[in-house]
Amino acid sequence: MTDPLYLLQAAADTAGAYGRFPGIGARNAVWIAAQVHLMFAAFVLGVPMFAVVTELIGIVTKDYKYDKMSKEFTRLLVFAYSATALWGGVLLFFLTTLYPKFWGYMARLFGPSMWVYIGIFFFESFTLYLYYYGWDRWNHGRAKWGHWGLGVLLNVWGTTVMFIANGWLTFMMSPPAGVTAETLPEQIGLANALMNMTWMPINIHRLIGNAVFGGAVVAAYAGYRFLAAKTDEERAHYDWMGYVGNFIAISTFIVLPFAGYYLGREIYEYNQTMGITMMGGFMSWLWIVQAVLIGMLFLAANYYLWLGMGRIPGAERFVPYTKWMLLLLLLCWLVWATPHTMLASREEMAAMGGSSHPFLNVLGLMSAKNTAVNIMILTTFLSFLMYRRANVRPTVSWAKNGTLVQGAMFGLAAAVVLFYGVYGYFVESIVRIGFSVYQVAAVILCIVGVTVIDVLLGRGAQSRGEIRWGQMPDRSQYALFVLAITFTWLMGLMGFARSGIRQHWHVYEVMRDTSTYASTPGLGYAANMITACVVIFLSLVSVIFWLGGLAESAAHKPKPASGD
Amino acid sequence: MWQTNLKVLTVGALVLGFFTMVAHIVPQQASEVPEVLTLGAGATPEMLAAAGEKIFSGAGGCTSCHGLGTRAPNLVTDERGAGPIGARCGKQEAGKDCKTYLWEALTAPAAFVVKGYQPIMLDQRRTLSVDQIWALVAYLESNGGEVTVTGQDIVDAQAAAGAPKPAAAPAGERIDAVAVLGEFGCSACHKLKGEGGEIGPAFDGMGGRLTKDYLREAIVDPKAKVAKGYEENKDMMPVAFGEQLTKEQLNALIDYLASLK
Repeated sequence: MTDPLYLLQAAADTAGAYGRFPGIGARNAVWIAAQVHLMFAAFVLGVPMFAVVTELIGIVTKDYKYDKMSKEFTRLLVFAYSATALWGGVLLFFLTTLYPKFWGYMARLFGPSMWVYIGIFFFESFTLYLYYYGWDRWNHGRAKWGHWGLGVLLNVWGTTVMFIANGWLTFMMSPPAGVTAETLPEQIGLANALMNMTWMPINIHRLIGNAVFGGAVVAAYAGYRFLAAKTDEERAHYDWMGYVGNFIAISTFIVLPFAGYYLGREIYEYNQTMGITMMGGFMSWLWIVQAVLIGMLFLAANYYLWLGMGRIPGAERFVPYTKWMLLLLLLCWLVWATPHTMLASREEMAAMGGSSHPFLNVLGLMSAKNTAVNIMILTTFLSFLMYRRANVRPTVSWAKNGTLVQGAMFGLAAAVVLFYGVYGYFVESIVRIGFSVYQVAAVILCIVGVTVIDVLLGRGAQSRGEIRWGQMPDRSQYALFVLAITFTWLMGLMGFARSGIRQHWHVYEVMRDTSTYASTPGLGYAANMITACVVIFLSLVSVIFWLGGLAESAAHKPKPASGD
Repeated sequence: MWQTNLKVLTVGALVLGFFTMVAHIVPQQASEVPEVLTLGAGATPEMLAAAGEKIFSGAGGCTSCHGLGTRAPNLVTDERGAGPIGARCGKQEAGKDCKTYLWEALTAPAAFVVKGYQPIMLDQRRTLSVDQIWALVAYLESNGGEVTVTGQDIVDAQAAAGAPKPAAAPAGERIDAVAVLGEFGCSACHKLKGEGGEIGPAFDGMGGRLTKDYLREAIVDPKAKVAKGYEENKDMMPVAFGEQLTKEQLNALIDYLASLK
């Protein structure tokens, strides 16, 4: 085809494919609608996980405060579902009016799954109403277990809905091999398209991510209610709720990097070029920004725990160690945030002597980064352990040896992490990648082993004094806000990474983006968009919390909680 | 209460401001759309090389791997004493001149993999047009050598790309297994008739060593069993062949490999 004809054909292909949106443009309109919808979706998927776990704890321990907390959050879900559906509608209308050709293609391919999606969404909403409005009616005996079953069902519906939507978006990233620009949507098998190569890794990553997000939002809500509390009883309740939310967020967050690693690996397996674009191409600096955010998460989480030890009798014996732990976290943070390969011009590369900086290159390698992040995880786990052990005086005869074994486990895990971190510099990259498995395994084994010993050590232990819930400095609650805001921003950033690696393709290497907005913007531009989305989301969540507060009637005032 | 609200808002604004600021401080790399070229028969070597440089340093994303010899051969300066790419391209494969070699390297990269590197590059025709690829070839030639690409190369390649493609083999028709091996770049890792890589077991004699069922599993699920002596390279075999190959291609491949005794 000669060039003028090519251009003419391109223009004809593009005609009618895109709509215009006033002010911010079509892409930004869809960006905001999709991102805010996704944040609400994460909220309404994450919080039910939190609610169903805490309700179960309440049933098993017969501790009313767990049940109260669970219900408090389910009430917020009722409002949040409307917001999720509303933003979903906005996204759908934007897609049909601003990207009609692309959306037409997706609808032709995924039509039946869209009908199933909306059907399940209906069941999900109905189950939620039943779960919330039936709370007080089915609150005892077998009925309570039935009610808890509704909570589980709510999670099943929610997860299924997410899995279907994940099929659509991952198809855009990794369409099955053999699908080309010439393939008609009707010629593509629906199951193949849905269950494409990055589908399951995204499912797992989002499932864990939602649990993290749910915990973080709960903790931030509790933080605000703590600051606004008028009585000691309220303060104690929300202090405790903030701790539980933070615990769930951080403990599930520790698993998230492993799910991310799995996703990254599948992207490389699918298409090396896409993987390299993501990690070493124009997106390489995104991972530095991500490291800054995650470092912030680790610091805020540890800071909250260290401050929390102030209300636990016996914790003072651990306080001298915290400054060294802080130093270690900061050092690891610096290593993690060190760049390695970066997109540079020919002149820049020649000036550097390579596509990597001659000195920082050493710290920017995955060996160093994996070592840093694993040490940060171990340090954070140590903070949890110190917090947990603060007011415990073990009485079992093997207490001293048990503690020594725990210490040895920490030492061994750290040694394995460091050994493979250093050894990684002396082997081929393909071998080095495998070392991260040993490092992760050492850390997980340490966490599991130490926790088991700790549970056994705690049997029949004496208390050094009750936790003084509510006696927490106000600044600790701001750490909870920092965590929630950082998690939300991180979701936006990773959404940009996932979507951006398609570059100028609606469907990677199948359907080209020929709109004015086909190029993928730099990080600064993306950061402005992410911040705008986070502000919109958090503002609306604040309104939902306020509405939830309005809905609290005097009749719902809690019975005194046993631990408050 | 308002004081608390104000504090919460301030903390939120500071955190968001900090993250936004960090994202603005780091280098701003955008992913541009490869420019549509209008080079035709009259394109000069200078025009071609200039267009190629833009793609190489920008939208093509080539520098992510072809920096100074990290993931892929150095295309910027010297590669292990062999000189810049424009000077060494004509000596890489016997019987192939520079531009033929570079065209092949961009459109069938698995056909010849430079020693010491992995076959990770894909056919660039998936994302670039033929004139963009020829422009890249011209730019690479200009880096230490003479540009031999002409406008006529583009016209010829466009004509070839526009020509009707051979129809897919109808069901039941014999599929050329050797062509399938070439299409999927298998020889980059497996030796056949004495030629090819040594990352995986040689195809030669494979039919005498392995059953058809084993071969099928080795292609579709390569991590299920790993050949002795190749444990270190077990992650190198792509796991997507089960999806990428048609049923007919897979069967033809298995039959062919099983026949190599």
